[in-house]
Amino acid sequence: MAELVSELRTQIERLLADQSIDVFIAFKKADSPLRPQPAFFRSGDALTDLEYNSLCQNNLGNYLTRYPNETRIGMVVRGCESRTVNALLVEKQHIRENLTLIGVPCHGIVDIKKIIEHYGEEITGYSENQTDITIILQGKEHTLPREELLHDSCLRCLHPNPVNADILIGDPLPEGDPSLVRKKVDSFEALSRDDRYNWFKQEAERCIRCYACREACPMCYCTECFVDFNQPRWTESSISPAGTHAWHIIRAFHQAGRCTSCGACERACPVDIKMTYLTDKLNEDILEIYNFETGMNDETQPPFAAFNMDDKKRFVA
Amino acid sequence: MGLAAASGSESVMKTRPKIALFQCQWCLYSESDQDWVDHQLPPSIHLIKTSCTGRINPLYILNAIQGGVDGIVISGCLPEKCHYKEGNLSAVRQHEAFLGLLDYIGYERERVRFLWLDLQDRGRIQRELADFEVFLEELQPTNTLATRVSETIGGLNG
Amino acid sequence: MMYLLEKKKINTELSAWAKDYEVITPQKVENYTQFLPFDESSTLELTNPHNTRYPPKALFFPQTETMLTYNSRLGRFEETQVRDEPRIIFGIRPCDASAFALMDTVFLSEDYTDPYWKTKRESAIVVGLGCNNPPQTCFCTTVGGGPFNHEGLDALLTDHGEFFFVQVLTEKGRALFEDLPLASEEQVNEIKKIQKKASDKMAPAFETKGLKQKLDIIFESSYWEKIAESCLGCGICTFLCPTCFCFDIVDEVQRKKRIRNWDTCMFRIYSQEASGHNPRPSNRERTRQRLMHKYSYWLDQIGEIGCTGCGRCVRYCPVGLDIRAMLRIASQQESEVIHA
Repeated sequence: MAELVSELRTQIERLLADQSIDVFIAFKKADSPLRPQPAFFRSGDALTDLEYNSLCQNNLGNYLTRYPNETRIGMVVRGCESRTVNALLVEKQHIRENLTLIGVPCHGIVDIKKIIEHYGEEITGYSENQTDITIILQGKEHTLPREELLHDSCLRCLHPNPVNADILIGDPLPEGDPSLVRKKVDSFEALSRDDRYNWFKQEAERCIRCYACREACPMCYCTECFVDFNQPRWTESSISPAGTHAWHIIRAFHQAGRCTSCGACERACPVDIKMTYLTDKLNEDILEIYNFETGMNDETQPPFAAFNMDDKKRFVA
Repeated sequence: MGLAAASGSESVMKTRPKIALFQCQWCLYSESDQDWVDHQLPPSIHLIKTSCTGRINPLYILNAIQGGVDGIVISGCLPEKCHYKEGNLSAVRQHEAFLGLLDYIGYERERVRFLWLDLQDRGRIQRELADFEVFLEELQPTNTLATRVSETIGGLNG
Repeated sequence: MMYLLEKKKINTELSAWAKDYEVITPQKVENYTQFLPFDESSTLELTNPHNTRYPPKALFFPQTETMLTYNSRLGRFEETQVRDEPRIIFGIRPCDASAFALMDTVFLSEDYTDPYWKTKRESAIVVGLGCNNPPQTCFCTTVGGGPFNHEGLDALLTDHGEFFFVQVLTEKGRALFEDLPLASEEQVNEIKKIQKKASDKMAPAFETKGLKQKLDIIFESSYWEKIAESCLGCGICTFLCPTCFCFDIVDEVQRKKRIRNWDTCMFRIYSQEASGHNPRPSNRERTRQRLMHKYSYWLDQIGEIGCTGCGRCVRYCPVGLDIRAMLRIASQQESEVIHA
């Protein structure tokens, strides 16, 4: 992974030096080896603390909507992030000409919650390669295969390769198996109605309406979210089944045709709600009905914006 | 005259299923039909008239479900007949996906029924509503997602 | 003087208390711990070195609390009965207990007494569990606390071998434990050593002397923009913080209730005024506010730092922002004067 960081550094330095970008969004080292942070490099910044590994758990596309379209942004993107960028471009949240994307085929994001579950928190070192993760705990090294520590969404990843990179660092990886997501959705659907509703209620019960899922999601950029409305009062802001159910259902629904299954929402949740089971279902439905996958290019309109008269067969009289 | 009797079907109803009727204001071409909906709807059916089915935010549907309705009817115009050209197209795509999601978490999608009405349809809305009432009666009553039902007087629980 | 509570008898002890009190203990939920009511079927979780994820301030200041109910038949508001059933909060960490003391200055101030907080607080006995192995994300000693601090507690337990060693700190605490056998002087000295070792292990995370003054001077510094750039504004830090007390009062008309919910200064609408003006329009102002409130404004109000070093904001920030690092770097900033 060191070569990756070194190559990335060279590219960023070049882009900043020839002034083709105003800011480059990547990650940097922090005090804890487990928590690299999003970083914003500008001309004149030292790139010594640049970091890029599987612990970089945030979807950088989230920051794109913070800048006006004129800002020339460089960004390092993995598979899901690159599709997020496309999805945001379709929604006119930036201009492609003002983006320089350095693509990195992704081996998956490691779920720090899984590391902590295995080893606790007192980890002083971390390293990885394509197949294994090694952590240092109390002076001793422990190695686990990657699959055991990857975030659940990454285990079902369909597109690890960036779809729109200007520069690619690393070798392309094989595409994911689409049946993995289908299987997960199908196995949930095979449960009885009561079991499904009980699961939904159970997951919703823990929710503390902190809206971290919303803030971590790159597609949730509305200046006024539906939960903040008073007129009309769409949903209660209190911790109550009515309010929380509405929050989970509608947030997932607002991602239909827009979600790239990056899993940032799950990673952000402080009470470990696995809400991707809802967005996975919507993604599968959208794929099945409209043959549409979010973010594969920056032009195709998502289904809810692309209705036309050919929809006549949908009108069951 | 009760709905069931008017449409000719026999059914003994103890408490009638609560239905929320979202009606697009243009879809009833017959004045007598619109008049019936405006003035003779049984108290168990609550009318919410919108400018177009495209105006119907899935949150309205969810609100009605959380308020404790047994079923929802969305009544609108056929494709090519939408007063606002594409409203019903947008509605159908959204609601299809939304009902799929609700079904996924355990709420029977059949409890939400679409009526796409034609120019020639007369008396159809009464028949469909009666039919729907019978259908809802046969389904077991459900508490799924009905989380805003309270014991106070008024609202959908009156 | 310390009492001995045998670990293998703890469920019996708690069950005995549960006859007269509602006993609340840390229990396992998914992969973390949460304070839940205790009964025979409960599994205690007292070995997790962390505090609970969700802050126990919720036991006295619930995230959602009905203040008033509207009776439409009689056409008037009715107050809700504030719960005053006696409770024992068992197994709380000293950082969270000292947070209770800080919150008391807000809810039980001279000018205003919050009846909802007061009733629940006074009807509870708070039994703490000290931290033998404070995780690296904890920094209570830096902000004037400690892994075996007494503030806010009626009794403090230290885990050692087969026993919990109980230090009784108030009359309420004594009533619960006075029938237990006493520890020997040797054992007491041993426990004191464990407590000191835990406290000594925690190196200071940042310098608090002069911190407030420094923060005040760098109010307009561009440093705040740097932090704000990666901060998501998600509010997790405030929702999990044991000393955050901001709340929003809403009238839920459909429910006919006036409800108080936790609110967060990290959201844009928190300070949004009806005119459309927002004194904290961007993330920069809001992130700055969070740090300044805890480490400067609390000192203005009551002379104490408003943070107890519990570490939750460090552990659960989705972008890995660490308040200790932010304060260290802040204290190294030069003041930037705005030129007209």
